[in-house]
This record gives sequence, structure tokens and C-alpha cells, in this order.
Amino acid sequence: MVKRAARPCPLQAPTKPVLALGLEGSANKLGVGLILHSPPSADSPTASTSSSDPGSVSILSNIRHTYVTPPGEGFLPSDTARHHKRWAAEVVEKALASAGKTMEDVDVVCFTKGPGMGAPLQTVALVARTLALMYNKPLVGVNHCVGHIETGRLITASPSPIVLYVSGGNTQVIAYSQQRYRIFGETLDIAVGNCLDRFARIIGLSNDPSPGANIEKEAKKGRRLLPLPYATKGMDISLGGVLSAAEAYTRDPRFRPTNPPKGKGSSTSAEDPSTIKINGKTGTAMVSQEERRRRAAGEGPQASMQDVGLSTGPKKVAKVQLEAGGEAVDVPPPAEGEEDIITPADLCFSLQETVFAMLVEITERAMAHVGGREVLIVGGVGCNERLQQMMGIMAGERGGSVFSTDERFCIDNGIMIAHAGLLAYRMGYETPLEETSCTQRFRTDEVLVNWRA
Amino acid sequence: MPSLSKDVKAQVEATRLPPILSLIEQSQLIKQGAEAKVYKSTLFPSPLCTPSSSSSPPPPALPVLLKHRFPKTYRHSTLDALLTRQRVTGESRALVRCLKAGVKVPGLRCVDVKQGVLGMEWIEGWSVREVLGGGQEGDELPDEDGEEEEEEPDDVQEMLKGLGVDHDSLLQAVGAEIAKMHLAEVIHGDLTTSNMMVRLLPTRASPNDPLFEVVLIDFGLSSVSFLPEDRAVDLYVLERAFASTHPVSLLPSGEEGVPHFEQVLLGYKRAVEEKGKKGECSRIEKRLEEVRMRGRKRSMVG
Ligand SMILES: Nc1ncnc2c1ncn2[C@@H]1O[C@H](COP(=O)(O)OP(=O)(O)O)[C@@H](O)[C@H]1O
Ligand SMILES: [Mg+2]
Repeated sequence: MVKRAARPCPLQAPTKPVLALGLEGSANKLGVGLILHSPPSADSPTASTSSSDPGSVSILSNIRHTYVTPPGEGFLPSDTARHHKRWAAEVVEKALASAGKTMEDVDVVCFTKGPGMGAPLQTVALVARTLALMYNKPLVGVNHCVGHIETGRLITASPSPIVLYVSGGNTQVIAYSQQRYRIFGETLDIAVGNCLDRFARIIGLSNDPSPGANIEKEAKKGRRLLPLPYATKGMDISLGGVLSAAEAYTRDPRFRPTNPPKGKGSSTSAEDPSTIKINGKTGTAMVSQEERRRRAAGEGPQASMQDVGLSTGPKKVAKVQLEAGGEAVDVPPPAEGEEDIITPADLCFSLQETVFAMLVEITERAMAHVGGREVLIVGGVGCNERLQQMMGIMAGERGGSVFSTDERFCIDNGIMIAHAGLLAYRMGYETPLEETSCTQRFRTDEVLVNWRA
Repeated sequence: MPSLSKDVKAQVEATRLPPILSLIEQSQLIKQGAEAKVYKSTLFPSPLCTPSSSSSPPPPALPVLLKHRFPKTYRHSTLDALLTRQRVTGESRALVRCLKAGVKVPGLRCVDVKQGVLGMEWIEGWSVREVLGGGQEGDELPDEDGEEEEEEPDDVQEMLKGLGVDHDSLLQAVGAEIAKMHLAEVIHGDLTTSNMMVRLLPTRASPNDPLFEVVLIDFGLSSVSFLPEDRAVDLYVLERAFASTHPVSLLPSGEEGVPHFEQVLLGYKRAVEEKGKKGECSRIEKRLEEVRMRGRKRSMVG
């Protein structure tokens, strides 16, 4: 095929260590992290493992505070912004303290420019501007998606993978070519994370730690694959129809909201003031506006500051490389003569199986078209082990492999912003103060990726 | 003892591969596409089609391409079986529809829905992607006993150029073939440069006859529709495939020329103007513009 002479990497190794502070808050996670890019040390061979990234990288701190909403509810921009505002100072302080650094040590302040929710983005950009002005530091605005991709490449040491980016707001299949991350396929309507989260809310699953994690847990108990619309269009997919079909099953007479407690009539639960009807079935009550605000302010029972941890090198981080022919789904089918019912677990299982099959298929199409053998999964949904497993089997069948990161890095965090921002900064890029506004829409392919060959 | 022999027969049957799979076993794996493995094999033409008189020698075996949608173990087996069935039948129906309408596609040779195998005419040529170059690296299988004998695209390009086939006329021919397919009310559903091939035509009666033809392949995601919306989306998918793999042609000077897709659209419009209904072309163009707008505006919230 096309023989391209390996072009030299335009990114030079730094002559002295450079330290970046990254601030992320495009959705309900507020993340702050510190990352250090250093000149390659003579005796460490790490630099040679990723030729596209000369120099060595160390993650000094990675702190996250998540706004957890009550079951059945999503997060509103205003409440989320309030949450970020409430916690910004503490999270920044904790990030600096656990890295053993002060603001004086920082060389550049990086923040998420977009895409994301307007109000939370603006809140965090304001924090970034304030820090930059107070300590006289340059600013770099970062594309959230590019942050995910660059961190994924760093952590997994996969130099040029096909990227599946799956999060609450995005679903894209991306490959690098000629200084851009080009979008090969994407969702034509809602994002996969959004689809899963909304379904979790429909069936009243908890948002702690995340609705997606609870869907995954629930799906493990599912036993019936219910037919749902499968909609791939070339390398694009559409998920709206799947979600409404899954929701329609909750109105099916066979649907049982939860396993009814033995010996209790359904009438007792209806009297319980904490339960209400969801789609005509009993479920948990929605929480009042005050309660939501209280949680946004960080006083809720589940809100917590998390030190999401560090990684000292790419080798220590989880790298999924499943073998082909692995057991696909390991659930006992319903027994003969068993009562024909539909449980929330069955729905979670069917939703995951259908939606993930679509994601794996479009990734495979991109691999066939572009000719790549390595897949990198990034974004919050990338934590899902069933998705990782399915992707691993597919890649194995093509003689390739899959890389993914765990929740420390695939869920939104400050490190991803710091790392991608620092790459741009090392190429001489800075965002002038007057251009540090945020944009809710910011496509991955708009960014000039001049640090790659 | 009839019961015993029946038993033995059943046992023998059980160990035997289905005929189409045993044919595949003896065939040469060409490559793994987006969802199937494709093999090169040979089949004798059906005696019904070529009545043989005792005097003439038997017809030669013809090369065929076997496209095997093998079971995908990553997805639930029920879902996998359903999708394979839908795609194999969908692809064979679309091929027949196109063949009837004179759209250049491979002839259909055999279908085994249960095993997920489709046999079709072997197209001696190159995929358009190979001709244009582009992509990250090769999509061929790992080198195994010289399994692949594909020419380097540079060589293919040189050779075609030597014959007088330039990029622009190739791209316009691509557009014209897609137009014919759309006028046959087939929507491809997965238009990429990997899913169209170029083959040289053997003889030319007059110097004005074309040197080559474009053959459309891979109809697994196709559907039947005549709506401008569906046609526009089909074109938009191809436009994005061009934008991500081979955006523009490079002029000999090294400068960037007209975007490839513009040439495709030129050939498409010309053919629709010529063969389609009045106003059909402008309706599709208008829709394409709307579909593009939609794509650019697509919400990208983190
Ligand atoms: N009829 C044919 N003759 C010769 N080569 C073919 C033919 N059909 C497909 N191919 C080659 O095999 C590849 C994969 O076939 P395709 O039908 O596109 O399968 P997939 O759905 O797996 O992409 C094509 O890109 C092309 O190079
Ligand atoms: Mg194909």
C-alpha cells in the first residue's frame, strides 16, 4: 500500500520540564490535574516507546469532584455550573497539594474550550482566566475530544489507533490523517452515553457513581435479548429509535419494574410516599428542586472529592487485549415454561448488546476502510467492560488489538486537558485572553493537530 | 438393515461441512472487508445456461468471488444470525435489481443465506481506494505465504495513467454509476472508495469507447428508495469518506486541485440530468445542501 516515508515528529523534546494545570468541567465532572513533560533522561527508554511523543511524561495529580443527581434525574446546566463554582477552589488546591506544587511552579493553565454544556464550561473557563491573571500564566483552550484522544494515546502507548470516542455527549469513530483527527462515523442523533443515561433514568437506576455503570451492573443479570432497532448507516449510527423502543418495553404488560418483594402486595408500595408512578409502573419519587440544588451545592449524600489516582507509566495501566473467540455472552437463557416477563435487567442487557454491536460494527468498518489494526476506546462509556470485551473480540478477529483506559482516565478529568493543552503549548500555541470564551459546539476535526507527523 | 444405514448416513452427514463452506475451504482468501471475508474460487457455469452439445468442449470454469459473512462472536448470536440473514438477502436483492437496470455490479452466482455466503462475478481490477491511494496503511491481511499479490497503488496509478485513465474521468465515471444506481431506486447505504472497483475493458471498437468501467460492490446496507433525501444522504456518506481519506487531488505542481468529490458530483449530475426526470437533479442537489448543513450543525456537546 501507500508507502509513506516516516515523517519526523514536529514535536521537539522539551529542553526543560514544563508543568501544566488542566481544568475540565464540560459536564457534571469537575476535574483538575497536573502533568509534567520533561526532557528525555539518558537512561530511561520510555521515550522510545512512543516515537510521536519525545520526552517523558509524568502525571502528578488527578482530582475529580462529581455532581451526582438523584435517581431518575439528569443534570441541568445551571445546577452543574453551581456545583463547579462551589468546588473549584478546593479541587484546584487539592490537585496542587497532592502534586506538591504551587501555582508559581505552573507553566501553563489549560481549560476546556468545548464542546460541552455552556454554563459549566464558562464557570471553569472563568476559574482558568482568574488563575492565569492572578499568577501571570499563559492560557491554552483545549478541545475536550482531543484531550480524550491524546490522553488515551499517552496512557496506552498506542501510536496511531482508530479511536472510538463514546461519552455522554459524543459518539464518533476517528482516525488521524494529515494533522487532523478526522471523523469517519458518528451518531446521527443522540450520543451513546446519553442514550444509556436516559434509559437508566427511565427505569429509575441510581446516578451514583454513574447511570452507565449501573446499567452495566444491571445488564449482567439480564437473560433475554429483546429485539431493538439496529440502525447502522455506513459508518454512522442512529440511537434515538433504540432508546424509544427500549422505553416502550417498560409499558409492555410483561414488564416487571423490579423483583416484587415476596409476600407483599403491590398496593403497599403505592402507598409509600417515596414511590411514584413511572410510565404507569411504580418507581422512586423524583426529588424536589431544593434537594437538587442542595446536591449541586455539594451537600448531597453522594457528592465526594475523589483522588482518581496517577499512573507512572503506560505499562502499568490496564490494556485490554482479549483473544478472538472469547465467550461472547455468558447468561443462562430463560428456562422452558418460565414465566414470560421482561425485567429491567433484560432491558439493560438488550440495550447494551444492541447498541454496542452497532459501535463495534462501525469501528470495524473504519478499520477496514483506513487499514488500521489498533483500536482505542475513550470517553466515559469506554469504561464499560462489555464494550471493551466485544471490541477486543472484533479486533482479535482482524489480527489487531484494543486499548482502553480505566475510569481514572476515560471519565472526564483534568489530566486530559492538561496533557493536550501542553502538547499545543509546546508547539508554541497560546490562547489570547480575549479568545478564551467557550463554545458548546466544537468539532474534533476543527483542531489543527500540529504536534503529530 | 435400512435403519442402520440411515444412521450411518446421518452421522457422515453431520461431520461434513455444508457444501458452500467446503468450497470456501478450498478457496483463496483475498481479504477481510468491513464485515466479510472474501475468497476467490471457481465455478462451472450452470449447464442450463450453456446447453452443451456433445461436440463442443465443456465450458471453462469461471472465477467467482465468495463473500462470507462469518459468525461474529463479539455480538449476541441471535442478533448476529438476524443481521447476517438480512444483509445477505439484502445484498443479493440489490444486485439483481441493479443488474436488471443495467447498473454495473458483479453478477450474482449463488446465495446461501443460512451460511451467510454470497457468490458473485469476479471483478478483475482494483478498488477505487487503491487507485487513489490514501488511508493510513495497508488493509491487506498480514503477509502469509505470499498470499497477497496486490500491486502497489503507485504502480496501479502509473499503469492506468499510461493507458490514458486520469483521476478526473475515473471520478466522473464513479458519479455516473452512482446516478444510474439511484435512478434504479437503489440506495447503497455504504458508499466509500473501498466499495467501488475499476476494471479495464478488453476491446475497444472505436477510440471513443471508454477504456474502463466502474463497478459498484458491497450492497449489504442497501435499501430501495427514490426519495431525494435518501439519495442525498447516500452522496453525503461518500463525500465524508472522501473528505476523511483522500480529500483533494494533487496537481503535478504539488498544489491542491479540485476536491475529488466535486468531480464525482459532476459525473453524477450529468447522468441524472440526462437520464432522470425533469427537476430531479436540482431536488437532489438541494437536499444534499440541507444534509450537509445538518451534519455541520450536529450538536457536539461534551
Ligand atoms: N466481485 C468482486 N471481485 C473482485 N474483488 C472483489 C469483489 N467484491 C469485493 N471485492 C474485494 O473485496 C473487498 C471486500 O468486499 P466487500 O463486498 O466490500 O465486503 P465487506 O462488506 O466486508 O466490505 C472489496 O473492497 C474488494 O476489494
Ligand atoms: Mg466493503
